[in-house]
Amino acid sequence: MASPDNELAAADLPKTSSADGIPLRRRSDVPFFLVTGGISSSFVLLIVLLLMADLVFISPGSFRTALLKPEIQAAFRLTLVSCSVAAILSVWVATPLGYLLSRFRFPGRWLLDTLVDIPIVIPPLVLGLSLLILFHLKIGSWELEAWLRDKVGFPVTYRWPAVVLAQFSVACAFAVRTMRVTFDQINPRAEEVARTLGCSRGQAFVRVALPQAGRGMIAAGTIAWARALGEFGPILVFAGATRMRTEVLSTSVFLELSIGSLDAAVAVSLLMVAMAVVVLLILRILGTGLTA
Amino acid sequence: MNRTGLAMIVSLPVLAGLLGILMTNGSSTKTGNTHPKSDGSGVNGDAPQRPLMVYCGASNRAVMEAIKTDYENETGSTLEIQYGPSQTLLSSIEVSRLGDLYLPADDSYLRMAHEKGLIKEQLMIGRQQGVVAVKKGNPKSIRSFNDLLQDDLRLVQANPDSAAIGNITRQVLQKQGLWEKLDSATIAYRATVTEVANDILIGAADAGLVYDAMLHTYPDLEYVELSELSDASSAIGIGVVSVTKQPQRALHFARYVSARDRGRKRYNEYGFRTKDGDEWADVPELTFFAGSMLRPAVEDTITEFEQRERVRVSRVYNGCGILVAQMKAGQHPDAYFACDTEFMQQVTDLFPEPVAVSLNELVILVQKGNPQGIRTLRDLAKKGLRVGIGHEKQCAMGWLTQRMLKEDGIQEEVMENVTVQTPTGDMLVNQLRTGSLDAAVVYLSNAAGSVEVLDAIRIHGLSCSVATQPFAVAEDSRYRSLAGRLFEKICSAASREDFLAEGFRWQKSDTPVTADRN
Repeated sequence: MASPDNELAAADLPKTSSADGIPLRRRSDVPFFLVTGGISSSFVLLIVLLLMADLVFISPGSFRTALLKPEIQAAFRLTLVSCSVAAILSVWVATPLGYLLSRFRFPGRWLLDTLVDIPIVIPPLVLGLSLLILFHLKIGSWELEAWLRDKVGFPVTYRWPAVVLAQFSVACAFAVRTMRVTFDQINPRAEEVARTLGCSRGQAFVRVALPQAGRGMIAAGTIAWARALGEFGPILVFAGATRMRTEVLSTSVFLELSIGSLDAAVAVSLLMVAMAVVVLLILRILGTGLTA
Repeated sequence: MNRTGLAMIVSLPVLAGLLGILMTNGSSTKTGNTHPKSDGSGVNGDAPQRPLMVYCGASNRAVMEAIKTDYENETGSTLEIQYGPSQTLLSSIEVSRLGDLYLPADDSYLRMAHEKGLIKEQLMIGRQQGVVAVKKGNPKSIRSFNDLLQDDLRLVQANPDSAAIGNITRQVLQKQGLWEKLDSATIAYRATVTEVANDILIGAADAGLVYDAMLHTYPDLEYVELSELSDASSAIGIGVVSVTKQPQRALHFARYVSARDRGRKRYNEYGFRTKDGDEWADVPELTFFAGSMLRPAVEDTITEFEQRERVRVSRVYNGCGILVAQMKAGQHPDAYFACDTEFMQQVTDLFPEPVAVSLNELVILVQKGNPQGIRTLRDLAKKGLRVGIGHEKQCAMGWLTQRMLKEDGIQEEVMENVTVQTPTGDMLVNQLRTGSLDAAVVYLSNAAGSVEVLDAIRIHGLSCSVATQPFAVAEDSRYRSLAGRLFEKICSAASREDFLAEGFRWQKSDTPVTADRN
């Protein structure tokens, strides 16, 4: 049922009549579509032009040569897997954290809210350096990295866990932001109703809030995956760029660029674009299935 | 269960699977060398070994990948090379305290690392010259420095505060009063020299100041050398990380990279300017000639050097006159540490660049309590005294003693009492201890081990009573760089303490000396 405000708004709309049959209302919308479309297309055009410039810059032969390099293939595999791990972990962490930040008011909430944004705002190289310092900080004679390496048998620095951790640190911050907005947009009344009907907080979260947050979780996973893919600075500092071991595609681009192999750098960049498009499409399809 | 919850549960085994893939890949690449070289003479005998970890400036990647392949094929050792910006790698070493070797884009980073105590030995590989990079065919016809100042030329440079080439260009041009002009003609400063080259390649700039070597991987660019930039060059070298747990293996690879018939050859192929350099040997052997009196001061240092570098040093200690005779007869040691400059000057053709290291004074050594009452050189002419001195032809000590006696005008009188002339001071000390001599003219360092039974009397007023010990690396040595590192070790603080403890005085200033003139 329409509200009185909506009825008033409908009454104020201009009447439709025109010699060529185009409704006046639609004609008056033309400038709107021209302006918005123009602004939007400028950005889309920029992206398309960037991709076209890259495509024109390299020959198919050099593209194939670059992609057939074993180190690039290893970087591709590591990127795909590590980004996926970072994204899944991010969603797992971001969902409860986003829910807490959205639903509850507690002492220090503002501090927590600010803290989770820190990986987004600090320069990437600083994040990598901070991770490196954390793992090698001597507390007396104890050191986290030495303990993990010698006692647990799980070295982190300059190994694949460092890649995942560096990607996760940034990706998760974006995922938390997304999940918080998601829960902000879900009316808490349904959960409260569920609780009045006998659900515990946990049951209300799992049975009521979570199903409604499916699309947001897909968005969080998507953005986390994309961020992890583009991550470069923290990985370079914390995980290094050792060929066949910790080299991911973003560091491959840097390494190729630093010896003047622009062809290879562009080829890897385009590979990353293709990868991102495919993964984002898959996630979108999954998201559709999840929220259908 | 709702779909979202189900998806989250399903994500757990997916996550476990992905982690499994990462672990499998990680374990397949992290194991080190387990198939040491069959001859067993190298550094690969102690299995299992951790792969050597090399921090390498990203600009060296192409040549380093080639050297890595060569080294792994030749020795069976495994290398892990971590590429990145030189400054970032330096910070990583500082924080993580991991790794074995550091090979930055130029030697300014090595100096920085050395000042911070992050690296120990440095082995030079080659040089790279500052040049003007232009597009192939030099479309803007740049031939001289003034051509860079044209209004229609887009000139880019690397930032003088962050990139070595920018810094050295500024230094060199400031001395010639040309920097202001070039600075105002520069349209942009880039963070790295690679960005400068990429700008020209893409067409964003017409010319830029870069290192010549880096253009090897830019077939579409060429360079123009300018006389104004002739002094703008940087060395490239590799440093052994101080905290390395495997210095022998680290130095083994560092020697490989800097060897003229191995890594240095590759560097040359990749556009670097290289000359000299040691020959490659899995375990090189240095021949070291030294005056006998130096043995107690250098022996421990040489043993430590052998252990750290895993090399062999064949020592020949003898009277310097005998050593000189051996060299003149055709023996060519890699390094020579003479008892006095006189015996270095006789072989300057072999050792053109000696460096004075220590001083040792001649003293009169007598029995404990000085029963003969000897106070000066003249007292050695006392009737019936049994005096021992060094042989004037066989050792510096004897030669100096004769000079001293001559200067004092008592040569004939004292020589009447001389009952023995030996090639080394140690022999005279032994004879004194057995009581077959009453006095001997020897180095103070010879007396260091006999303080309980002998007394030393200083000789005053004769400048020639002090011998200067110079060290030099042979011009034709196959291992000049290695011998240079031995020299650095001998000049270290710990070695200096050994010299002082043995009665020597220290002469060498702290200026580093390198025998490698890449």
